[in-house]
Amino acid sequence: MASVTIALPSLLEPVTGGVREMSASGATLRDVFGDLVRREPRLKPHLFDESGRFREHVLCFHNGVNTRWMDGWDGPVAEGDTVLFMQAVSGG
Amino acid sequence: MSARLLVGTAKGGFWLTSRDRREWDVTGPFFKGWKVTAGVRLSDGRFMAAVASDIYGPALYSTRGGRAATVGGAVPGPDQWEQVAEGPAYADGGDRRLRQVWTLKENRGVLYAGVQDAGLFTSADGGRKWAPVPGLNDHETRGGWMPGAGGLCCHALLFSEDDPKRMWCGISAVGVFRTDDGGAAWIPKNRGVSMVLEDKEHKEIGSCVHGLAQDPADPNRLYRQDHSGMYRSADGGELWERNEDGLPSAFGFPLVVDAGGRALFAVPQESDEHRVPAGGALQVFRSTDRGDSWHSASAGLPSAHAWGTVLRGAMCVDDVDPDGVYMGTTAGTVHASADLGESWINLPVHLPRILHMSAWSG
Repeated sequence: MASVTIALPSLLEPVTGGVREMSASGATLRDVFGDLVRREPRLKPHLFDESGRFREHVLCFHNGVNTRWMDGWDGPVAEGDTVLFMQAVSGG
Repeated sequence: MSARLLVGTAKGGFWLTSRDRREWDVTGPFFKGWKVTAGVRLSDGRFMAAVASDIYGPALYSTRGGRAATVGGAVPGPDQWEQVAEGPAYADGGDRRLRQVWTLKENRGVLYAGVQDAGLFTSADGGRKWAPVPGLNDHETRGGWMPGAGGLCCHALLFSEDDPKRMWCGISAVGVFRTDDGGAAWIPKNRGVSMVLEDKEHKEIGSCVHGLAQDPADPNRLYRQDHSGMYRSADGGELWERNEDGLPSAFGFPLVVDAGGRALFAVPQESDEHRVPAGGALQVFRSTDRGDSWHSASAGLPSAHAWGTVLRGAMCVDDVDPDGVYMGTTAGTVHASADLGESWINLPVHLPRILHMSAWSG
């Protein structure tokens, strides 16, 4: 079980009461995402849609690697890893 | 008499406050970067606002502290808003997406949220927990519901003062539904309205309601700005008839009535193709005879080079006599009348695209 640092974009400050950095724990990314929304349930509908996937324009990077490039969320995480959420720079 | 306006824009909410409805102070933005799509003041004094982001989706917020926190015309500060943890939501794993809350209403202690993808949710505990209304959300005609240009949204709700079990909702581009049993069963009520997209199977849907209003003295006397024209019904929506005499165009979106039921207000647009004020003149049309006739009530409004129009949620009235009427445009301008539309002032603001306006006295 590793503790991971979660970084959130400023647009989500109203959701978290101004908190931009949180911790979440797990053995895999999927565990970490689950722990994150358990700790802060209000984040869930803003990061994930009803299908359980990230919203269309939400980007997530694990240690700088785009999670969309990964083969699912079941890869391991290590103590001190970082997960960064941000909005896709879609369009001009 | 003082008044407060909540102005929801594409990039945040703003408060406009005034002691005399002539000089206005501006506070905001709050929820900067988020669309503010609906607002309501609850009977316990709290404010509730719906926000949405194209990236991060929708949410409901309510203020802490009740009436005492906003006495004397005070407006809630940014730290007074708290997100509703268990807001309206469709089931995980399903096909429906909750994209935006279009309208918030309170009636007899129950809160209602009309949403996109089209549906209705209620809360019986002051907005803390919400439940879907299956009789509408899973309606037998749902397979024929097609979204309008603004999306498949439930955006209008009316209630009967005479009958606690009767209410109406409007869904574009589907039509008006009415329940007479408190929300268990909903019946389409669109007879007399021209269809804009006829369904192959369900011939009772396919009209596109843009705005709904109700006579305060007679809850079954309804007014309807539809995609296909302006209508009214004297029997709770059983039959609609056109009432367009005097309108330069029967196409538009907002339709409001003052608290005393003396006047209806509409903002016609130049055709459903162009959707701009005709000739670049922002004009309000008013009817003081229950829709028998319409006349321009536009003194003071921009009469040239005004191409921003008024969206369905961006016009409202207050309950101060004579009633204030307010509207905001897609160009971010705000216009106020303190005399039931006899004259207008143009407020010195240039806000983002205005989606919603609500007004309260005091």
